[in-house]
Amino acid sequence: MGMTTRAAICRKPGTPWEITDLELDDPKSGEVRIQFAAAGLCHSDDHIQKGTAPMRMPVVGGHEGAGIVDAVGPGVTRVAAGDHVACSFVSVCGTCRYCATGRQNLCEKSVNAATGMLPDGTFRFHADGVDVGGMCVLGTFSEYAVVSEFSVIPIPGDIPFDVAALVSCGVPTGWGSAVYVAGVRAGDTVVIYGSGGVGGNAVQGARFAGAATVVVVDPVPYKREMAEVLGATHTFADAAKAHEFVVETTSGELADHAVITVGELDDEVIGHALGVVGRSGQVTITAVGGGSLDANPGQLIGFQRRVQGAVFGGCNPLYDVPRLLALYRSGHLKIDELITRRYRLEDVNEGYRDMADGKNIRGVIIHEEGP
Amino acid sequence: MSAPRARDARRTEGPREALRLTTRAAVARGPHIGWEIAELRLDEPKAHEVRVKFHAAGLCHSDDHITQGDARPRFPIVGGHEGAGVVESVGPDVRRVKAGDRIVCSYIPACGACKPCSTGRQNMCVTGRNAGSGMFLDGTFRFHLDGEDLGGFCSLGTFSQYAVVSEWACIPLPEDVPYEVGALVSCGVPAGWGSAVYAAGVRAGDTVVVFGAGGVGSNAVQGARYAGARHVVVIDPVEFKREMSKVFGATHAFAEAATAHEFVAEATGGRLADHAICTPGVVTQEIVEAALDIVGKGGKVTITAAGKATEKAVHVPGILLIRGQRQIRGALCGDCNPLYDVPNLLDLYRSGDLKLDELITRRYRLDEINDGYRDLADGRNIRGVIVHEH
Repeated sequence: MGMTTRAAICRKPGTPWEITDLELDDPKSGEVRIQFAAAGLCHSDDHIQKGTAPMRMPVVGGHEGAGIVDAVGPGVTRVAAGDHVACSFVSVCGTCRYCATGRQNLCEKSVNAATGMLPDGTFRFHADGVDVGGMCVLGTFSEYAVVSEFSVIPIPGDIPFDVAALVSCGVPTGWGSAVYVAGVRAGDTVVIYGSGGVGGNAVQGARFAGAATVVVVDPVPYKREMAEVLGATHTFADAAKAHEFVVETTSGELADHAVITVGELDDEVIGHALGVVGRSGQVTITAVGGGSLDANPGQLIGFQRRVQGAVFGGCNPLYDVPRLLALYRSGHLKIDELITRRYRLEDVNEGYRDMADGKNIRGVIIHEEGP
Repeated sequence: MSAPRARDARRTEGPREALRLTTRAAVARGPHIGWEIAELRLDEPKAHEVRVKFHAAGLCHSDDHITQGDARPRFPIVGGHEGAGVVESVGPDVRRVKAGDRIVCSYIPACGACKPCSTGRQNMCVTGRNAGSGMFLDGTFRFHLDGEDLGGFCSLGTFSQYAVVSEWACIPLPEDVPYEVGALVSCGVPAGWGSAVYAAGVRAGDTVVVFGAGGVGSNAVQGARYAGARHVVVIDPVEFKREMSKVFGATHAFAEAATAHEFVAEATGGRLADHAICTPGVVTQEIVEAALDIVGKGGKVTITAAGKATEKAVHVPGILLIRGQRQIRGALCGDCNPLYDVPNLLDLYRSGDLKLDELITRRYRLDEINDGYRDLADGRNIRGVIVHEH
């Protein structure tokens, strides 16, 4: 059986996204077929296309997406055909050690993100006999995809799909980096490096958690303006100026938290972040890239600083995705404001150009034939 | 400020003039030249200061970092930041202790009033900021030699028979606890214990790997075990320390990180350890890498031991932290609150829950201090202790 679907694929790092027709298998046991309505243009897809993050090629891009369940394979219990769903870029089996201890973001079943292989070891996308994986075992830059039921989360029918798409990754990753992984508390001073589709939500999370001072460092004027809309109290184009400001406002005690949500992690931003936090300060690294922490042990011991990596902002997708959408509906969380531009699937490369040029907080693909 | 001065003047007229004004002490004049025994002049205690007659001092690796050139203190400096003794006299306005009290010195003072002290983080008390110079908060020093000022390491200087220290560094020592045991609770015991119990936050059933089982690491082992770790894996190249680690509660001990890694991978079904605690003599990049490599998803690396001031031993690609959401952090005095934890640890010793006698491998006279540090370098000691002669 099966069907064909149009998708944006990358055949090898460094080559642009290519729109092509793929064969798509029917969902097997525990799998569902989704007809995508919207997909977010996250920086992580750009990392695999640029070759800065490893990925099996060829690959269907996209790990932020929302749509309608089109068909279900045998044994599926979480969703039924016709359900509106958002994808989670980490899968949640609900039974492994991490899922069982409130750390669904570290689910043991979430192992094939870089190949797109389904849990049984096979692929659902094919191009002329070649197996094609989906980014994070999803592939939302396709009109249709077959994914594990562990990767989908039911959402209310009244949530726009483009909004729901952002809750696949950017919103929880940023929000949770501040709220859960950093654990921002009332009265804290928080410095956020990079205020794009992830950082903008770290700003919202920090502010909602009660931070007194939310400082944003971003070289792009438009992003700094938007950061203020999202709750930043102060914004700076460069880290040194932000550091001076933090020293002054905290009487030299420095910040409680630094959250790194830049497009490309480098040594320099980690160095700035480590220097801007004070006693028992925490640096939370959410952004990926080639950067390293370079420190003398004394820099960690003296002020007892912590450097913590964050996956999906420490969120539990099954709990946090619906909760974030509820905060959106109640007006507490700004998501419409995150969507700067909408693109057709064919325009995916233009969307990433706009992102690279600093024009977008988040670009979103609207699948033209979608629900 | 006139009242304290008046009281000060009154005291100098009294029996205090009979006190010795000089003290024998081990001094470091610079890196790489060892400890030198010198006769120093010692000032009277000023406001909030006490004069302590030390009976015992621990030979901690941190003092060795000074003479090895790994740390950069102000020279010359009186060594020693682990010590126990008796309060001989007190300066004006001292509330916490009185003359005749048996005390332990905490290597980090706890003023009880600053932001860290007010938020349960006495280990970062702001009055501890002069640890590397030994200068008192009024900008002066209490030790002098031929017109030259000397600080005490961590504003203590327990390698001296007598010292003037802040009352905020003094913690009462019960009558039934020997001074040499008390001395270890100044630093090594809380730094190790707390690294496992507080800084790492070991929980029941965890797998914990401790890198280096000396005077600090042995207590990380005790802390991890007491907190309920299922596997407490020690990595130490010295056979004697591996043997001793079993006494303190290690379930497994390995000479090399690679074999420990194999064991941990097998014992955890590939999930790897929950915690790695770095308590070697000197933290190196190799150790930090091995520690990050041995913790699994959600794992945490706690760095307690110092490295060489000139080296960035912590070189960690960010992606390693993000994958599996790992954390690397520093721990100062094991995140302990000295005013709470030192008495608590001494209670655990008295009840037999904490082994402290077993930590003391050898005792030395002050003159033998360089022998003591040679033994430490040779891996012969869990902890050496100086017993001061009076």
